[in-house]
Amino acid sequence: MITVNKLTKTYGKNDNEFVALKDVSFSIPDKSTVAITGKSGSGKSTLMHIMSGLDRPTSGSVVIGKTDLYKMKANDIDNFRANQMSFIFQSFFVEANQTCYRNVMLPLEIAKINITKRKSLVLEALKAVGLESKVYNLAGTLSGGQKQRLAIARAIVNRPSIVFADEPTGNLDTITGDKIMNLLFGLNEKLGSTIVLVTHDLDLAKRCQMQIHLKDGYIESKGKLTSKQLI
Amino acid sequence: MYKIDILRRSFRSLLSAKARTLLTAFAIAVGTFALTLTLGASNGARNYGDTLIKNNFDPTELIVSKDKNFFSNTSSSQPQEYNPSFGNITSDTGNVRQVQMLNDNDLSRLGQINGVSTVRPAVSLALQYITRDGQRKYVATLQAYSAYKAPDLLAGNIPNKFPSRSIVLPEAYLSSLGFNNAHDAIGQTVRLAVKKQFDQSAALSSILSGNASSIASSLNSSSNSAELPFKIIAVTQKPSALIQPGSALYIYTSNTDLITLNDFTTTGSANFHKYLSAYIQVKNGTNIADLNAVQSKIKDAGYSAQSVIDTEKTLTQVINVLQGIVTVFGLIAVVASVFGVINTMYISVLQRTREIGLMKALGMHKKDINRLFRIEAALLGFLGGLLGSIVAAVMGTLLNPWISNKLGLGSARLLQFKLSQVVILIAVLIFVAILAGLLPARKASRLDPIEALRTE
Ligand SMILES: Nc1ncnc2c1ncn2[C@@H]1O[C@H](COP(=O)(O)OP(=O)(O)OP(=O)(O)O)[C@@H](O)[C@H]1O
Ligand SMILES: [Mg+2]
Repeated sequence: MITVNKLTKTYGKNDNEFVALKDVSFSIPDKSTVAITGKSGSGKSTLMHIMSGLDRPTSGSVVIGKTDLYKMKANDIDNFRANQMSFIFQSFFVEANQTCYRNVMLPLEIAKINITKRKSLVLEALKAVGLESKVYNLAGTLSGGQKQRLAIARAIVNRPSIVFADEPTGNLDTITGDKIMNLLFGLNEKLGSTIVLVTHDLDLAKRCQMQIHLKDGYIESKGKLTSKQLI
Repeated sequence: MYKIDILRRSFRSLLSAKARTLLTAFAIAVGTFALTLTLGASNGARNYGDTLIKNNFDPTELIVSKDKNFFSNTSSSQPQEYNPSFGNITSDTGNVRQVQMLNDNDLSRLGQINGVSTVRPAVSLALQYITRDGQRKYVATLQAYSAYKAPDLLAGNIPNKFPSRSIVLPEAYLSSLGFNNAHDAIGQTVRLAVKKQFDQSAALSSILSGNASSIASSLNSSSNSAELPFKIIAVTQKPSALIQPGSALYIYTSNTDLITLNDFTTTGSANFHKYLSAYIQVKNGTNIADLNAVQSKIKDAGYSAQSVIDTEKTLTQVINVLQGIVTVFGLIAVVASVFGVINTMYISVLQRTREIGLMKALGMHKKDINRLFRIEAALLGFLGGLLGSIVAAVMGTLLNPWISNKLGLGSARLLQFKLSQVVILIAVLIFVAILAGLLPARKASRLDPIEALRTE
């Protein structure tokens, strides 16, 4: 269970003050899929960053399981992220001059996974995304869809409880994007991680079990989207 | 992240930017190269000096003079008052100084000093010539044999008590004097010729009295020169070890015979029984404390005395100064390369902003990211140090024979590399490179992951 309670995020001071999130509260059950939707600049990424401990809220709290994220020290938040969370970004962020193998290895190294267990975990993850034939290819030589599959392999290799995905299909064509999302949802069923999907693609959002729609930093609606919001 | 993982990651990122890595390492290598050569050259120079001194001076002996000017090379800018009882020293550049000479009185005073075992005036006698029946005459220098020198013998042997009217002949004279080999020479007789020093005052009075022809006759008279038979008891091998220039041709005889011959040549001159310096053998002289005690007693008695250690010190000082100068240049090169490291590391941080952001997002600790970049800097230092010192060692080893040839060092090698020094040098470079990497590493560790991941 992820509980987001009265999150507020303010950028700047005085005249320059900008409120990116206003009093945002909701909770997500374990192993579910959630879409955060809204127009550009509505605060989707900001919310995701705060939920994952990358950023700090101005006020409010994020409780994951029994852990109150912002009551921990920076190093403990890092450890928590290394063990429980992973990320998929719009522009992939794979290390182009390293092999797929090395790319997927990174989270295991950071989480200090036993060295003897790493190799099989990496190969398993690459197999799960269909990149078993590209293990020792450089990531830079992959196509966009393959890069995002590599990023997914990297995101699932450490069996995180939450996967944050910020516009994972934003840089892909529709067909490739669909394939990526099928893969992601399939893995969610298989591995049982919670998926927090940031998107402005409402069709995609509909495939999630829960939707949180942001407007100018506050929650306009929760749950199943209305037909009006779909337009 | 485990340290080993961080290390491997640093290694891989250096590998993936090979050109940049190599160029930065080259900058460090230049400084290392200079420093390695400097260390090698000063090792060689030090060894050369030590060996030179060891092969020529007995460390249990002191060199004593009546005049402290004897040991100082600096000539005063003031004219020196003439003293007829002083001896002359001519410097390499031709200027003449006078120093007070030791006489028999001084020698016996020195002999009575507690702790002194023997006193031997320093005499190097220029023979008129050395020859043998049916052979030509050759110029030669006669010196007293000292057991310390223990030359390698081709033939014969030198008893503990050097026999009278005997010499030890250097190998080089063998064929000149008509011997087939060293063994042929043993027991054979050669003749050493000595000549009285020209007595200027007697000659002058002859000239003034208009009796110039008497000078000529007296100079040619047989009483003014003597040819004495000496038996060859041993033949020395051409020395392979370092020796004083010219000393390879020294003919050795007993101290007593040398003094007798020297007395003959100086009879009637101002130099009779006068010596510029003397060698004093110290009882139990291997003990530095005993040596120093005798040295200070000699100084208290109004003489100046130098030990091998003092001579070494003077030599070492010269080497240190030269070493210092080259070291400064090497250090300047290293300092310059530090900026290279800083620059490279900054560029690396900028280029890898997204990678750093990703690592932070995935939970890598700030201090591990800092460490990652410090290790990269350390590896650059290591690579540069290794490269520079290997190139220096290889080049030095290849050039050594040529250098020795140019400098006339014989089989001695100027550039002598010590593994321990190179290891320390590389360690220092690694440390310096880490220092250079501190700021870029700090910048990397402080990157905001959100900002970093926004970078397109
Ligand atoms: N560091 C910051 N300083 C000031 N304003 C910021 C900062 N980061 C974000 N904002 C503002 O907060 C608002 C929300 O930004 P956010 O990135 O969360 O939007 P988004 O919903 O993810 O938009 P998009 O769909 O374009 O990615 C925007 O108006 C943005 O300009
Ligand atoms: Mg966004």
